[in-house]
Amino acid sequence: MNYSTRIANQVRGQSPMAGLDRRNLGPMQVFAQSVSGAAPAAAMAVVPAIVAASAGAATIWSVLIATGLALLVAGCIGRFTRRMAAAGSLYSLTAKGLGAGPALLAGAGLLVGYSLLGMASLTGAAMQITALIGGFGVTPAASPVVAAALVVVLAGLVAACTVRGVRLSAAVVLLVEALSITLMLVVFGVLLVSQGIGVDSRQLVPSGTGLGAVVAGVLPALGAFIGFEAAAAMGVEARRPFRTIPRAVGATAALTGVLSLLAAYTQVAGFAGAPGGLAGQQQPVRALAAAEHLPWLSTVLDAGVATSFLACSVATTTALARLLFSMGREGVLPARLGRAHRRFRTPHVAIAVALPVLAAAPVVLIGLGLSPARALVPLLTTAALGYLVAYLLVCLAAPVFLHRIGELTVVSVAATSVIVPVLLVVLVAFVSTAPVSVAALVTGAVLPLVGARYLWMRARRPERVAAIGLYDETSTADLLGPPLPPRSEPPPGRGSAHRRERARPRPPPGPQR
Amino acid sequence: MSPQPPPSVPGRQPRAVRNALAVLAEVVAAGPGVTAKEISAALRLPRATTYRLLNLLVAEEYLVRLPDLRGFALGARAGRLAVPIVPPPSTAARAVLAHLRGRVRWGVHLASYAGCQGTLVARDPDHPSSEPHLLARHPYVSALGKLLLAETPDRPVEGGLRRFTEHTVSDPARLAAQLREVACSGLARQCGELHAERGCLAVAVRSPSDGSLVAGLALSGPAHRVAEPNTELVDLLRAHAGRLSPLLA
Repeated sequence: MNYSTRIANQVRGQSPMAGLDRRNLGPMQVFAQSVSGAAPAAAMAVVPAIVAASAGAATIWSVLIATGLALLVAGCIGRFTRRMAAAGSLYSLTAKGLGAGPALLAGAGLLVGYSLLGMASLTGAAMQITALIGGFGVTPAASPVVAAALVVVLAGLVAACTVRGVRLSAAVVLLVEALSITLMLVVFGVLLVSQGIGVDSRQLVPSGTGLGAVVAGVLPALGAFIGFEAAAAMGVEARRPFRTIPRAVGATAALTGVLSLLAAYTQVAGFAGAPGGLAGQQQPVRALAAAEHLPWLSTVLDAGVATSFLACSVATTTALARLLFSMGREGVLPARLGRAHRRFRTPHVAIAVALPVLAAAPVVLIGLGLSPARALVPLLTTAALGYLVAYLLVCLAAPVFLHRIGELTVVSVAATSVIVPVLLVVLVAFVSTAPVSVAALVTGAVLPLVGARYLWMRARRPERVAAIGLYDETSTADLLGPPLPPRSEPPPGRGSAHRRERARPRPPPGPQR
Repeated sequence: MSPQPPPSVPGRQPRAVRNALAVLAEVVAAGPGVTAKEISAALRLPRATTYRLLNLLVAEEYLVRLPDLRGFALGARAGRLAVPIVPPPSTAARAVLAHLRGRVRWGVHLASYAGCQGTLVARDPDHPSSEPHLLARHPYVSALGKLLLAETPDRPVEGGLRRFTEHTVSDPARLAAQLREVACSGLARQCGELHAERGCLAVAVRSPSDGSLVAGLALSGPAHRVAEPNTELVDLLRAHAGRLSPLLA
């Protein structure tokens, strides 16, 4: 075969992800997307106290181990994102390693994770904003009607900026997240200084805390990292995806780890003298601020957490929309979801379908009489469950994928053989300790749906099963050389993916064959 | 992976560069679709090193992975490693230029943008034009270069911004704003940014089929004349650019 036929056999004239704003986001914007997905500010305020409940004075060690694990997961994700640019995040990546069935499971996990984290961040933002307004002495701020109305308004804002263009939403995310992290650094910096200089050595060499307690603390500590893979959905839109996305995910794990360590150290040291230590505290940062006679810190904290939730809601909506978009293009979900706005180049149908759901759920929960703070707990725990399933599958998929493309390395096998058993244990521990209600309800509803859809597709539409894992492949424009004769294909984005596949019965080439 | 003790960093860098170049050459030699294992075997490089170099070259877009994710081919960016070969304009295109030269008292120049690089293909014999290499090396000081930069706003200007005169736009933010204006209006203007007394105006010649930037048509003259609105002149320039587009695309 000569040069052009060897390439022309597999390269299409247009990427299957055409329609999105291709190769247009800078490294900082992609990084901000991931950081916002992890929402470190909210984690800094809440997570250390939960970790301390099991790890006590050794909290920072639990956080350190969790950071190491998150870096390992980031490494596994990086093995894919260095080689393929996907919009479907871990779902598309898992498909290239483990095939359609596990990919659908990872996709369902991500759908649950993104949706519930989106709901939680809208709820959390509304809650923090009402707290901020309440702090200025405006009384009706605490009413549930205000909280519900705020959720709807915020969802409208998120919709406007995610539909209007990925560059706008990425800029908003970068700005808001930077503000949030700055505010949190102010809070913890001031606390650390006011506690006095001097290293709290009991934290570094904890005595009286067993290894088991440290390990038990790793589970809640991992909660701080949930959502850190959000950049993996920007494969199509990042300017140099193979460089920026693996770096963004890895750096987010590291940054979240450092921020969590800072938060954990400050809080454990602050409550060193208190009976029960950090573990007994409901609102540790507020209590510390009050103890140091710095009441304004609570307001800064509220603002930091509110902005973190806001950025998180934009980031998760962005990732969720691209996941739905990918599934729409493949025909796994209705093909309408795979449409892109012709001018704004965003998956506007997917956003229009997703955001009303994201806004409605918190409104219903608040309407049922749950306070926003109580509504957050089941949403966040169930979201974490979804994410953990997806992380587990993508880590398992990494060496299989490398083997399929003939690039298996010892390091990737070693990383997976460490992280997969750990994630399995975490998942089992999580399921056994989580409150039964919501997580079980969601799992019970989602799993049969996914299974039924998979079996139906396998029986009736095998070409859609083969299409799972569509990504932004190399197209003729990316290659050096004269343009190849175009293959007759209606441009995606206009016609439905459904029709496209009938016109082209051959499944797209992938490592499956 | 390698049996030798790890060499110190400075000693290692030249070898890494040599290996990367060897990998590039091997992809060219073996043809598209060559796999990582084949490259590793052909170059007798450790596999992990080969994979790392390949991923690096893919990240920098000199190489691309083919849709099966196993095979490699040269990416569009590798074209920047070679000087673009630009054929001289056709007789019909030269006739359009001669027609324009007959109607204005300015210098008329034509640049091709093949390979994402500006190359002067027709210089006005009666009017001085800037040195040809300046267009490729300092595109931001000429109207023809600004047209190209406005088309690819995300591509960083290589080598930084050098000041030639007091009018040179050497602030990146100001240049970006100016390029946005150029992209909007389709007209690039340079007044005394390279030589204090001279300036030029340029409009794009676009492919009639897909609207991609093919060439730029420029008028050069005294800086103070370029700064005027020149509405009629610009219309004339645009009309000729329109006539050139089917001849050059």
